Amino acid sequence: MSMRLGEPRPAEPELLTPGLSAGIGYSIAHHGELLQGVFDDGAGRPRRALVTMPLPGRGSRAVFYPSQSHWGVVGPPGLTKARRAAIYALREFSGHPSPAKGGRVEITSNVPHGIGMGSSTSDVTATIKAVADYHGVPLSREEVGRLAVLAEVASDSVMIDDRVVLFAHRDGVVLETFGHRLPPMVVIGCDTAPGQEVETLGLPPADYTDAEAGQFQVLRGALRRAIATEDVGLLGKVATASSRINQRYLPKPGLEPLIELGARHGGAGVQIAHSGTVAGLIFDPRRPDLDLGGCLQRIAELGFAVTDVIEPAYQQLKQLNQPSQLNQPSPYRQWKPPARLAAS
Amino acid sequence: MSIRGSFSEATDAYQLPRLIRLGPNLYAACFTLMKMVPARFILRRAAEQGMLDAGTVIVETTSGTFGLALAMQAVHMDRRLILVSDPVIDERLYRRLTDLGAVVERVSVEQGRVAGGYQAARLTRLEQIMAELDATFCPWQYSNPDNPRAYSTVAEYFLECLGQIDCIVGPVGSGGSMCGTVRHIRALLPECRAIGVDSHSSILFGHPDGPRELRGMGMSLMPANMDHRIFDQVHWTTPPAAYQATRQLHQRHALFMGPSSGAAYLAARWWADANPDALTVVMMPDEGYRYQDTVYDDDWLRQRGHLKEALPDDPILAADPTRPVGSWMAYDWNRRCYAEVMSAYGGPR
Repeated sequence: MSMRLGEPRPAEPELLTPGLSAGIGYSIAHHGELLQGVFDDGAGRPRRALVTMPLPGRGSRAVFYPSQSHWGVVGPPGLTKARRAAIYALREFSGHPSPAKGGRVEITSNVPHGIGMGSSTSDVTATIKAVADYHGVPLSREEVGRLAVLAEVASDSVMIDDRVVLFAHRDGVVLETFGHRLPPMVVIGCDTAPGQEVETLGLPPADYTDAEAGQFQVLRGALRRAIATEDVGLLGKVATASSRINQRYLPKPGLEPLIELGARHGGAGVQIAHSGTVAGLIFDPRRPDLDLGGCLQRIAELGFAVTDVIEPAYQQLKQLNQPSQLNQPSPYRQWKPPARLAAS
Repeated sequence: MSIRGSFSEATDAYQLPRLIRLGPNLYAACFTLMKMVPARFILRRAAEQGMLDAGTVIVETTSGTFGLALAMQAVHMDRRLILVSDPVIDERLYRRLTDLGAVVERVSVEQGRVAGGYQAARLTRLEQIMAELDATFCPWQYSNPDNPRAYSTVAEYFLECLGQIDCIVGPVGSGGSMCGTVRHIRALLPECRAIGVDSHSSILFGHPDGPRELRGMGMSLMPANMDHRIFDQVHWTTPPAAYQATRQLHQRHALFMGPSSGAAYLAARWWADANPDALTVVMMPDEGYRYQDTVYDDDWLRQRGHLKEALPDDPILAADPTRPVGSWMAYDWNRRCYAEVMSAYGGPR
């Protein structure tokens, strides 16, 4: 873990071919999903798919240093998915006039690992973009998505950052575009099991029933409307319903208390990470009875750690591409959970 | 984010109703042929699961629109279809079914003189046919869970169009449309109310069985797809009330629908008026063409005595669902199971 957040290690000269420039790529993280389930792909086939809750305040920056003398890719230890992503991306550019033979990947990230914020997807996405950047060939967002799924079996859709999509996260294809952006909303992110980590690859894919597939179909229709009409209340209901259905697969003990808590403070609903421990309370900033301060305090009293306050529609990607932000220590790391009320 | 497209085949065009606003808080979901929703879903799913290969004959017992929907889908899928019906079947429907290539067997009046009436006699004949043929597929609309499941498409459409729905009103027969639609809506909106509209002398909600003139709703046998626990309230209508409401729907809103739609409209209008803050959707299962010589004929209505009494403004709020009062009545079912409600009244009479 310390490797990921610390300074990049100095370049290993023997792997670098002099005169070659490096490629740089960036990807935002995510805060779990607004909706996740199984959906018709339009050709009558059910596909597992999700709608990502983007987290523009966190992300990964990858630098790809090419090598013309060595095959293979060297990368930070522990980050095998990013290394594999670089290999797949290199394969993609094998027809390029001067493709890199191999290289080295360095990653700087402020995404916490193993709590459902997509640390590996943002590493993988940033790596693919870095390799593409070195070759001077822009990849489409969908191509990056396809390569990311190849590298890590299942990916959230952080690479598709210009619209809100229903993304088949095991096939790397977009099933539906809901709109250009999420409605203006505030999401209080928290970790429902501070200190625990979920190993994504160790999770069996959820075995949804026919009845649940029907429910997801209904939620998809409601989300379509919520995004088209900027209806945060409806979007919150969709997220809550999806979270509840998925309780059967990766249960979050704190879900019902969080739903109740949000409702008491003017919240619209609760979204979760389906492969992690984070959850987010969704608020409509236009609602007069909004009580973010009171809610933040109660979350602490429940024993959950607040991770981020997210405003996905307002944050500009431009600002996030500044690497200086990434070198700052993660606010999540500095944050200490308050003493439980029970102690008093 | 998408453009309007074309339909892949005729039955595809029948899947979604038209949502039409009737009042400040009342919307009608008008189907051309609602039974097409489960018929198409069930047959296509059976084909996907390998239960409907080229030699398999589709068989079903029906005297109504479910048979028509099956016959249309069977044309697309190029499968043989045998329907077991009774002498009550509408002659024009019979001609349309046979034109679509379906074989329609009618049980006789004598065979219908058994407990359970024609419905029981048709089931007996259906079982004989299935025993005679090598490969058959029966959709079993009354017990197949794919019947209510098919309505996820309708629920998705409602939520995309309206976002919030506080009450759904609709006629009840197999239980498929109401149980299926409401259950799916409640995945997002658990508080959404459901009002079932039944016919007098239907056993669905506890009335004693008897002859029913009103078509398209009510049953003599309890369908397995019926989930009583979804209903908050039940209304029983009489033929005169349903027919007059059907005509009012046409006269006031220019909606040309069948009498089960009229019966549902009656209950929905009453509830929506009494609950102005609640967005209400009423299911309207078929159009008026089949009823032009009856419900839409003043002489026919007069001769049958259906115009003697004016349409009441309110239903009689019944204390006992098993006791018919002879006119439009309502009862708060409160999402209880059938046995629980019946046990309070000493069971169905």
